Amino acid sequence: MLPARRTDSAHDQTLQSVVDRLTGGISDRPDSPDGWVTAVRRMPARAADYAAFPEAIDGRLRQVLGTRGVDRLYTHQAEAVAHALAGRNVVITTPTASGKTLCYNAPVLSAILQDPSARALYLFPTKALAQDQLAELHELADRLSHLSELQIGVFTYDGDTPQDARRAIRGRAHVVLSNPDMIHSGILPHHPRWAKLFENLRYVVIDELHAYRGVFGSHLTNVLRRMRRICQHYGSNPTFICSSATIANPKELAESLVEQPFELVSESGAPRGEKFFLFVNPPVVNQQLGIRRSYIAETRRIAAEFLKRQLQLIVFAQSRLTTEILTTYLKDDFGGQPGTPDQIRGYRGGYLPQRRREIEKGLREGTVRAVVSTNALELGIDIGALDVCVMAGYPGTIAATWQRAGRAGRRSSRSAAVLVASSAPLDQFVVRNPSYFFDATPEHALVNPDNLHILVDHVKCAAFELPFTTSEEYGRHNVQEVLGILEESGLVHRAGDGDDGTWQWTNESYPADAVSLRSISSDNFVVVDTTSGADVIGETSFNSGPPTLHEKAIYIIEGTLYQVEKLDFEGRKAYVRQIDCDYYTDAITYTKVTVLETFATDPGRSHGEVHVSSRVVGFKKIKFYTNENVGSGELDLPEQQMHTTAYWLTLPRPVMAALPFAPDDRRDGVVGLSFAMRQVAQLLLMCDRQDIGISIGTGDQGDDPDLTRSGHPTTLSDEPRIFIYDNYPGGIGFSEPLFGMHHMLLARTRELIAGCECQHGCPTCVGPVGNTGPLAKTVALRILDLIAAGQSALPVSA
Amino acid sequence: MSSLADRLRGVIRPGSGIGLAPSEVEGDPGSAFSADRQNDAAEILGGVWRESRGRRFLVVDRTCAPGYRHGRMCVADCLPPWPRLELLGGSDGKLLFLDLETTGLAGGAGTYAFLVGCGWFDGGVFRLRQFLLADFAAERALLESVAQLTDDVSCVVTYNGKTFDLPLIETRFALQRMQTPFADLAHVDLLHPARRMWRQDDVECRLTYLEQALCGHEREGDVPGFEIPSRYFRYVRSGDARPLQAVLEHNRLDIVSLAMLTARASQLLEEGPSAATMPREAFGMGCLYERAGLLDEALASFRRSRVVEGVRASAILLRRLRRYEEAAAAWRELLAARSCPPGYVREATEALAVHHEHRARDLEAARTFALQALRLPATAARQDAVKYRLARLDRKLGSRDFPCLPLA
Repeated sequence: MLPARRTDSAHDQTLQSVVDRLTGGISDRPDSPDGWVTAVRRMPARAADYAAFPEAIDGRLRQVLGTRGVDRLYTHQAEAVAHALAGRNVVITTPTASGKTLCYNAPVLSAILQDPSARALYLFPTKALAQDQLAELHELADRLSHLSELQIGVFTYDGDTPQDARRAIRGRAHVVLSNPDMIHSGILPHHPRWAKLFENLRYVVIDELHAYRGVFGSHLTNVLRRMRRICQHYGSNPTFICSSATIANPKELAESLVEQPFELVSESGAPRGEKFFLFVNPPVVNQQLGIRRSYIAETRRIAAEFLKRQLQLIVFAQSRLTTEILTTYLKDDFGGQPGTPDQIRGYRGGYLPQRRREIEKGLREGTVRAVVSTNALELGIDIGALDVCVMAGYPGTIAATWQRAGRAGRRSSRSAAVLVASSAPLDQFVVRNPSYFFDATPEHALVNPDNLHILVDHVKCAAFELPFTTSEEYGRHNVQEVLGILEESGLVHRAGDGDDGTWQWTNESYPADAVSLRSISSDNFVVVDTTSGADVIGETSFNSGPPTLHEKAIYIIEGTLYQVEKLDFEGRKAYVRQIDCDYYTDAITYTKVTVLETFATDPGRSHGEVHVSSRVVGFKKIKFYTNENVGSGELDLPEQQMHTTAYWLTLPRPVMAALPFAPDDRRDGVVGLSFAMRQVAQLLLMCDRQDIGISIGTGDQGDDPDLTRSGHPTTLSDEPRIFIYDNYPGGIGFSEPLFGMHHMLLARTRELIAGCECQHGCPTCVGPVGNTGPLAKTVALRILDLIAAGQSALPVSA
Repeated sequence: MSSLADRLRGVIRPGSGIGLAPSEVEGDPGSAFSADRQNDAAEILGGVWRESRGRRFLVVDRTCAPGYRHGRMCVADCLPPWPRLELLGGSDGKLLFLDLETTGLAGGAGTYAFLVGCGWFDGGVFRLRQFLLADFAAERALLESVAQLTDDVSCVVTYNGKTFDLPLIETRFALQRMQTPFADLAHVDLLHPARRMWRQDDVECRLTYLEQALCGHEREGDVPGFEIPSRYFRYVRSGDARPLQAVLEHNRLDIVSLAMLTARASQLLEEGPSAATMPREAFGMGCLYERAGLLDEALASFRRSRVVEGVRASAILLRRLRRYEEAAAAWRELLAARSCPPGYVREATEALAVHHEHRARDLEAARTFALQALRLPATAARQDAVKYRLARLDRKLGSRDFPCLPLA
């Protein structure tokens, strides 16, 4: 049983003593990449910075806020509120627990108080977040109703809203809380029923803006384009208030999504106690294969250190399975008597709402001392502020890491965040190169709303909602041309003549139903578990189907292993059965990239439009933990083609010629280099592994060259090219930024390979032994050095 | 570099399930209408062009003479006024029968009513007027014309209009920024009373089924519903109005059937329970009478119906009217019925237990029924309630020498 939580100044000392124990007593010391604690950073305390309430805020609202202890605003709140009231779009990027919700609730409620016909729409990426905010707004609205006769209606409107409630909500809600999917298929296509909302729409609030990047963000931009079209039809012009976690380009992202200018509020006026940030890397136990001590056991030990000193903590894990494991461990270590309330809780999105509310409340009140959670608690749900955050595994992006770390940190007392690296390549890179994390800007969130596939889907939806005129514009491409092609398929019909014409929707279907906001085409593969019956357990995109769902592939969900027994390519279904084995599979794909158009080029680097054709030719069986190759198989799956965008690096002829190595080794070096570049590109683009693909272009080899065990051609040309392409038809906007970051990409790749402790290569740097030969690492480094030397000899290019 | 058009064609795969493949799209897409083709439509469909605000839409008028037969029924037999219409939700005054043909069933802003079919009685005849949206730009003018028709109307009659036709046409008015003319009108949606009176087993109560069963009219060569939108789109693209002939005829038949069936329903209710020809019909009438507060007629209808639903309904009604002995008799009749469903058995047993305990004051009989109730399958909560009753009865029966039931 854990004794009561400390709240006194002894608390600060206690936390300090644990940190000292872990770091050897020296904080803010130089980074030691080979050490156990590779980095310690100390962030000093800061006091609060206040500002007065803007004049325009309704007095009744001020009164109600006063009764809740808010007499003044922090500087960032005042700034944001002032912008919003003046009708200027604003994006706020202050840390968690800095009172961001007030930045939008205040202008919205104030506007409604002064004009009861005003309306507002809030967008959240998840229903749980919407529920959270609902409670908060209800409370405010309730208190306000005592001061004014106005009953401010606040409702969620999403897939769970019962049918009979929907009509009432349309009539009575001043503030509607929803999510992008519902707005896309439930609200916009039925806008006549929402006429009152759209006529009087004053504010649109978008929370967790950074979640809208990549494919999802590109879809959202289009949903917002349709919404603005409809607002224009009804004569309204809402102001957007967005809140985002810390990313490199919040203003740019907001302006890309909403396509209007924004003000940025990024300096937080909220107070913060002193904070320590530690990076921990479990030590190596097998040098040759590069195996480290279990990061889960490490996390357990560290968490225990804090827990037994009565500090309140949150542990983040990367998967539900790991969450359950760590919860079990900590309960074993600190479990109470049967019948006593649980002080250690697990948390994930799949739990029922009631249980989640209970845990959240327990955290706020201090009765729950430790919670082990998936990323479900990363986003804004209010759990108070805790003492310590321990992350089991790198969350994947800098932005997400700061989000999670932000869960620890009280107003005036000390807090700590600890990142424990797993053996995954990305984790190892970050933990051994702390400056990448602490000194570099966080990732850029990128979108490409004019990807033709995405755009066309939304043009259909927009045409259904309001006929396009023959002079209207939409997006960056010529929408009139798009409509002309849609007419060829019988979806729209041009009525009227000349400039006065309109495009009418001439199809029975409801286009929004065919569009998923999280994928490019709805042509997904469905995974069916036939172990007992036939349950659908997962889905992959069309591109990822063959490499991950070929026959005999091992498919993993939440740590449970399944083997694919049959792949029905035409029917887009994979039938799997549970299996117990000690290996996983990796597909060998031969990918051929042909350049269609080069958009820009410099010595060595280019980007443009490409045609990618890939064929899964075989697969390898790889043992867990040791990464040994324990078998293989051949496959013959249909070739997949797509048009997309790519960045590519050309290895100059002189560089290749200068390599004092045999042809096979030179090839291994190039393959290893491309492997490492892919890892780094993922970091820089803030994307997932399957969002990009690599291919080595070796000139004209025909369609069936000899391949290495990793699917690359065995012979290279004199001037090979390494392509990094967007793994989405139409491209998703990664190539141009990569082109811009080319030097950083190469520099960090060099750091990754050179800094890796393995001897001949490993999954962290150039790829597992077996994919490439023993000299891969050496040759890759030599290539990079030669390129760098060559560039310093050239005149500086643009 | 591929042009935008080529790339778009690569994106939109033809025949991928949405829209017609180019080969299915007849005629010349995007071409403006020639005057010839437009006049053809008027001729082919037998209508005239109306022009308003520089836009044209087609109006097709028909009249059904008093002797016009629709199966066994004829217009002369169906003339209003129908005093009992209010039992169906209607009102006094002029009626407008409404049926729409639309471009889809999904609703939403992109679904149009391309054909608005209206019917009304005018003296001894039945008039039909159909408005066809030949040109999308004429929608506002068309709707204005429809609205004019409703000027002297007090009640609109539809089939499934509450969920489909009315919301849809009101959406069209809203999109055109026009006031809906239907807001203050009474609305009879015949689907609901039809279901009560005329549904056979679990068969969906379609208008064509009723038309056959009650009017005795069989359609020949009727266009199937799912084909209607695509015929309209073909017309829009090619200007060829021939595919629409069947659609307009289908719409006219629907409206005529609607009018005649509404007449039949109202007349039945007027004539009273003895006019019912089928058990289900009698039961349905009973429900309608009861809802309107005409309890004597309701009771008579339930009695006449003889089906278990009717017997049960009469028992409940009699209980409401405090005619307890008759109610009890009805419950007993229900229990004795051959095809009494378990839910009704339980209900009747309970009711008789209550009746005997509180009204007839025959505690032993009450106990018998309570015991029977206990043996029936029921939820835990219900079982508990029965046990309480038994316990209470046992107490009331006091020291009598009856073996006590073990409580389990």
